[in-house]
Order: sequence, then structure tokens, then C-alpha cells
Amino acid sequence: MIKLSYESGTLLADVSGDAKPPEPFVWDGRTEQWRAPAGTYRETVLRLREEEIPYTDRAARFEKLSLESRVAMEPRPYQREALNAWRRGELRGVVVLPTGAGKTAVAVRAMERAGRSTLVVVPTLALLKQWYSILSGSFGHSVRVGLLGGGYHEVTPLTVTTYDSAYIHAERYGDRFALVVYDEVHHLPSPKYAVIPKMLLAPYSLGLTATPERPDGGHEMLPELTGPVVYRRSPEDLAGTYLAPFETVRIPVELTAVERVEYAEADAVYRDFLEKHRLSMRSPEDWQRFIMVASTSHSGGREALLAARRRREIRANAERKSATLESLLKQHWHDRTIVFTKSVEEVYALSKRFLVPGITYETPARERKEILDRFREGRYRAVIASDVLNEGVDVPEANVAVILAGSASHREYVQRLGRVLRPREGKRAILYELVTGGTGEEAASRRRREPVTGAYPGASP
Amino acid sequence: MLRGEHVMARLLRGRLVPHRLSPDDERAREVAGALVDLYASHLGRPRAELEEELSLLEEELGPRLDARRGFKILRGLAKLLEERAKWAPPTEADPYTLRTRLFELTATLPELPSATTTLLEGGTREDVLARVSTETGIEDPVSLMYADRQGAQLLSGFEPPTPAALLISRYNVAQIQGVLYSARDLSVDLGREADIRLVFHYVKLLGLIYTLEPTPKGHRLHLDGPLSLFGGTRKYGLRLAKLLPGLLLTAPWTLHANVSWKGREASLELTSETPGLTSHYKGPADAGEGDVREAFAKAWERAKDKGGWEIEEGAGVIPVPPLKAALVPDFAFWNAATGERVHLEILGFWSERYLVERVGLLRAAAKRGYRVLVAAPESLSISTGTLAQATRGYVISFKSRLDAKSVLVALGREDWRGSG
Repeated sequence: MIKLSYESGTLLADVSGDAKPPEPFVWDGRTEQWRAPAGTYRETVLRLREEEIPYTDRAARFEKLSLESRVAMEPRPYQREALNAWRRGELRGVVVLPTGAGKTAVAVRAMERAGRSTLVVVPTLALLKQWYSILSGSFGHSVRVGLLGGGYHEVTPLTVTTYDSAYIHAERYGDRFALVVYDEVHHLPSPKYAVIPKMLLAPYSLGLTATPERPDGGHEMLPELTGPVVYRRSPEDLAGTYLAPFETVRIPVELTAVERVEYAEADAVYRDFLEKHRLSMRSPEDWQRFIMVASTSHSGGREALLAARRRREIRANAERKSATLESLLKQHWHDRTIVFTKSVEEVYALSKRFLVPGITYETPARERKEILDRFREGRYRAVIASDVLNEGVDVPEANVAVILAGSASHREYVQRLGRVLRPREGKRAILYELVTGGTGEEAASRRRREPVTGAYPGASP
Repeated sequence: MLRGEHVMARLLRGRLVPHRLSPDDERAREVAGALVDLYASHLGRPRAELEEELSLLEEELGPRLDARRGFKILRGLAKLLEERAKWAPPTEADPYTLRTRLFELTATLPELPSATTTLLEGGTREDVLARVSTETGIEDPVSLMYADRQGAQLLSGFEPPTPAALLISRYNVAQIQGVLYSARDLSVDLGREADIRLVFHYVKLLGLIYTLEPTPKGHRLHLDGPLSLFGGTRKYGLRLAKLLPGLLLTAPWTLHANVSWKGREASLELTSETPGLTSHYKGPADAGEGDVREAFAKAWERAKDKGGWEIEEGAGVIPVPPLKAALVPDFAFWNAATGERVHLEILGFWSERYLVERVGLLRAAAKRGYRVLVAAPESLSISTGTLAQATRGYVISFKSRLDAKSVLVALGREDWRGSG
């Protein structure tokens, strides 16, 4: 008789007499016990059953949940296919779908199917809050949704956590979940996070992503960590039929005459200093180097620092930028508009100026849900958000997006576009991009656009 | 503790040298003083302002302290001061209710309220604000609508390190801890005079797994975690780091840690003799055992006719691996004539939870063939019967002082010998 139990991310096998538990158990001389990583639970139980070895299971503490989404949703054909493929893979595997194709809907179905305690692991606090909203909306009537991370520590049979928190806490709660959903699963095969599945008993797992490939080749670990890719569709596969076409409008924002003079002055001081000290400005490290040189320099260092700061301020606060935004908000007051800004502070400044709700990583989960719900219902007309709405945040009713300034990241740009790509009957989304002229932001904007052009029909103006 | 990004160390021939500030360095003391002053003078003011002033200080003092890493050092020091600060919300009004009302009112308007008053347009921003102001009695709703943000919190308390040089010592320990974040395992050679019971207190508290072996000078303790069995992992680095201030409460020891440092294998070596390292842990609460122990040692010395029993130098350690703990009895007696060894465990006035744990250890030790006498105060919340059963031995009850005679009687009991 073998007795299985769970301890701190590992599985213990208590055997009577000289009997040996099957692989992958290893004798742990430190504590005089047979031990295996908790992630081998499924394999262990299958082997014990197959070899007809009697055992008692004191390890698993997950429960059956009757999960039935109250949000009526007819799955799209590819979502149904994805779910079937996952079932054929014995409730283990990765589903690859483009942003905006409704990966979350697949996960909600998978949870219904598994009908057991589920842990959802996400990369950002924004997604933590988003999943909280979705799961509360779907299952909140029968299960209380728990949160672990970002200042929340409430673990329930249906809990959302971040990769960082899972890394720290999985060993405490690793026996409580039967299904793990890894959102943006391409984060999982990193040297740090790859230990998470090892600490979880969960026999079932579902990975979701639009892009499983990692430059470091980490995706090759996915089959071991959460199962192989069981279903895959590219944006091209779904374009036209399921992803709404959209239009991009680029609005160059000129500095006012006063700003232009001031900017030119500050820019000259700053550039003279760079040239004098032979500094380049291509990376964040260059910026730190500049700060260092400037603050130790006795001639002109302080002036250069102030000029650099002023220069940035002018660019960020260009008067016409917010005036342009004001006119766009006016023009689209009867649409659903999301405004993306570069900085959290800008969100709060604009929210105070226009009295329109802002969402950042600081926004509490419940308030965030409330804002997005009201936005969906049309009670709020616009929402201002910082980078937090980046990866796959679901705002189905938005049909206008305004990008105020973004960092030059391809991925980010694609994901942001995905937001307004929500399929909706007869909807044509508009994406405005406000770029301050003559300040270097144009290049960043160009960089962002390149990989997208051509990949999505309608993306190029 | 520091954040990962504040941690700095040099790699010299495979050995890591954590960044260190000299307490004698005039500039380091100036920086520490300036930061402490900044916090101390900030009482009652918002966090966002403090952060701004900190970043100014970073740019001003950082490069003078260290051209390349000055700003990082300052940020690290500030992080350690942050642990001594308390923050409070700036208003009793509920900013959430306030802003929600503002958003709702604004959304009901037929068009976006203009920022400026014009004759032609209906609702303006000012109208919305005036209305909410009347409803809530708050004069300037906009200034408080996000008052629950962290940046708006006011500094309500700050416990300055005195003298400010204490901050430097704390920083130096924190940098070593920072290197340990990336440790895969750690071994400590504990000298005989080291308080091994204290060390086990932290090992247990932090959920680490140990192995123990005797060395000519004391004990070697090897520490890692449950998953380490399946290949080195940095998962337990944080806990190993948290052990360090515990170790610093005792001496002598030397430690060796295997560290995965930026993709390379390296090691960290440290001894309790390293100058300038002080612990900020208070140590486990003493349950009055210390006094009983000392008084007993004196009484034992004075006692005559000890029947050949002598107290052994250094604490005896009884490892109980499956409980991830060890029993470190207060005394070990050795009888040269008979070759017997008996341990004495004095139970202090512990809480019940702690006692249950202790009894578990006693039971396990007895199972492993160790002979442990237990001395328990009469007022203890556990029956001597339970104790006797757990230890298969003899329980000595005492009022406030444990005398040598009752221990000698226990040591000499025939049934005790017979049952071992």
C-alpha cells in the first residue's frame, strides 16, 4: 500500500516495509522520505492504476465544482475545434489563437468541462484583474473568485494569480487545483517560472497564447510543462470572417509656436552636451550614462539635465495633443472610446481633466471590473488607460482607440490593435495615433507599424 | 530587504563579493544622513513628493558617491528606510465614491464637458464639479478624486536608524542577502559555542530542509528546500537570505553558498568574524528557560556526589529529519563509568502550540533511541503524563528553579535505565 501526500510543492510516498514506490520517486535522505515533484502527480497516479498497485491519495485536495457559465455564448467554430483538440489531448495542451479571437472563451469552456478547482496564471496585474472580471461574470453566481497577487491574498477553488505570485506561493496551494490555465503561456518556459508546474499537482492544464515561440527556444519545454500545442490558428486564418476590419488614422500633432521655440532651445543645450561628451542615445543604458556624465560634469552638466527634462516635458504635455484628444473625445462621445497613454501619471492627469474614468495597474480589481462593465453597458463613454491594457484585455464594445504615445514595441502594438479587433456585427473600428511632430516620436511610431502592415488586412492606411 | 535590481556584487575567481559601503567613508555617511533627514523631515507630506525628492537626491548625490552605481546605492538605501516608514491616507472622504460620481455625471451629459466656460455650451466641467462639491461638501473634488493612490499617502511615522551609520550596516547585510536570493543551497559550519537551537528556530520557521553532520569543531548544517532534490533551484534563495540575520545573532560560524549568478556558477563565503555586520532580527522570545538553565548550571557545579555524571561541553543535537527540525536539549550528561549519555530538555513557559511541537520532537527523539529527561515547570499547560509518555522517560517537575538533586535522582533511576 502506498500513501501519497503533498508537501511544499512535492509529492511524498509513504510505503510500508521495503517496498519501493514507482518512478519518478527518489529517496530523500535529508528527510528520510520518498519524494517526487508535485507535477508528476498525474503520471504517478496513472502508473499506479496501470500496474494495479494499491494506494491511498492524501495528496489531492481539489474539489469538484459545478461550473456553468451564465453568460450565454455560442462558441465560434474554431473555438469549438480548439476545445475538442484539447479534450483529445486528455485535457492537457496549448491552444494558439490570435489576439481578439476569444482565447478566454475557450478557457471558460475548458473550466466547465473539467468541473474542478482551477487556478489561472497570468503575466500582469492588469490581466489578473481582467480574468477576475470574466470569471466573476461567468461563474460568480456559484463560486467566489479568488485573487493571489498584487496585494490580494484570497485563495478559493477558482483563483487567479500572476506568474510571480505562483512562483512564490504555488508550494502552499499546489494541492488545491485540478486544472491550471496559463494565460500568455509563452511566459512559462523561462528559467524562473518553469518551476511553477513542478509545484502543482494539477493533472489538467491549458496554455493560451497568440505566439508560443520564444527567441531563447524555451517553447520546446512547453510539451513537458503544460502539454504540446493541440490547436493553432493564425490571424490570416481568421481574418475577414472573424476579426473585424479596422481603419488607422494617424494625426501628427505640431507643437505650438511657443513650445517649438522652447523645445528647440532645450534640445540644442541637450544635444550640444551629448556631442561635447561624445555620448550616443540609443538605449536606456545610454540614458543612464548621460545622467551620470551630466551630474558629475562641472561645466554645463546641470543645465543639460534640466534641458533634457524640459525637452521631455514639452513633448509629453504638448498642449495640442490634449486639445486634439479633447476634440476626438467630443467627436466620438457617442461611441465607445479607449485612450491609451504612455504613462500612469498621464492617465490620472487626463482623467482629472476630462472627468473620464482611468484604468492603470493601480486600479483595484473590483473598481476596474465596474468601470469596464459600465463602459460595456454604455454608461461610460470613454476610458483612459495606461500600458496596463496591453496583453489581450477584453473590451468588446470599444470601437474607437486613441494611442497618445506608445513605446516602440512591435508586440505591444499588435496586442493593442487586437483590442479593437473584437468581432462585432457591422462594426468598423478606428484607431487614431497621435504623434508629436519633430520630436523623434515619429520614428517610434514607424517602428511599431512595420510588422503589422500587410499581416492584417486593413492595417495599412 | 533590497529588491533584486538593487543588488550588486563583483565576481572574483568564482567568488562573489557583495557590494559594501564602509561605515568610515565620509561620503557614504553623508548620503545615509541626507536620506534619513529627508524621511524624517517629510512627516505629514505625500509619498509622490518624497519620491520626487529622492530622485533629485539620486541625481545629485549618487554620482558623487559612486560614478557608475551611485543612484542604485541610493535607491537601495531608500528601500531600507522605506521599511521603517508608515503611510496613511490623506483624507477621510472616500475618493472612490467621489470620482465615480464625477464620472457618472459627466457621462450623462450630451457632449464632453468643455474645460473652459463658453456661452453656447450646456454642461461644463465647472458645473459638474460645483454640483459634486455641493453634494459632498468637498471644496475641490478634483484634488481628492484620486487621493487613495499610493502617491497621495502621507508619511505618518518614521523610525530613524540611530545613528544614521546603522543604515550602512543594514545595507551591507542586505547586499549579502541580495546575493543569497540567487543561492541554490547553503552550508554553515557552526562552532561549538554557537547557539544551534537559535539557528534551528530559523531553519524551521523558513521551511528549509537540512542535513546535519558533526565536524571536529561543531556541526555542519546544509540547507536547501524540498524541490532541491531534483536539481538545484534558486527557488529557496529568498529564504536562505532571510536566514542570514538569524545567523548573525550567534557566533562563531562560516558559511558557504552555491549561487547561480547571472548564468554562472559562483560561491559566497562569509564568516561571523566579518566586521560591521549586525542583525536586525530580535531573536526568538525567551520563555524564561535561559534563567532556569543558568541557575541549574550553577547548582550542578556546587553539587556533590554526582555519581560519575558530568555535563558535556557544547549542545548535543538530536536531528529529527522527517519533522524538518532538530531537538537541541539544554544539557548532555555523560557517565564515564557506564558510558551512558542522557540529555536534559528544560521546557520553558511556552505557548501551547510550541509545546505540541516540542513534544513531537521529544517523541521522535525517544523513538530514535535517545534518552531525554524533561524538566517542566509545574504550571505548564500540558500534563506530565503526556510528557512522560512522549519521552518514555521521567519528567522532573519544578516550581521556579531546577535543582541538581532532582536531576541526579532522575539520572540514577533504575527503571529509566531499564526502559532505554
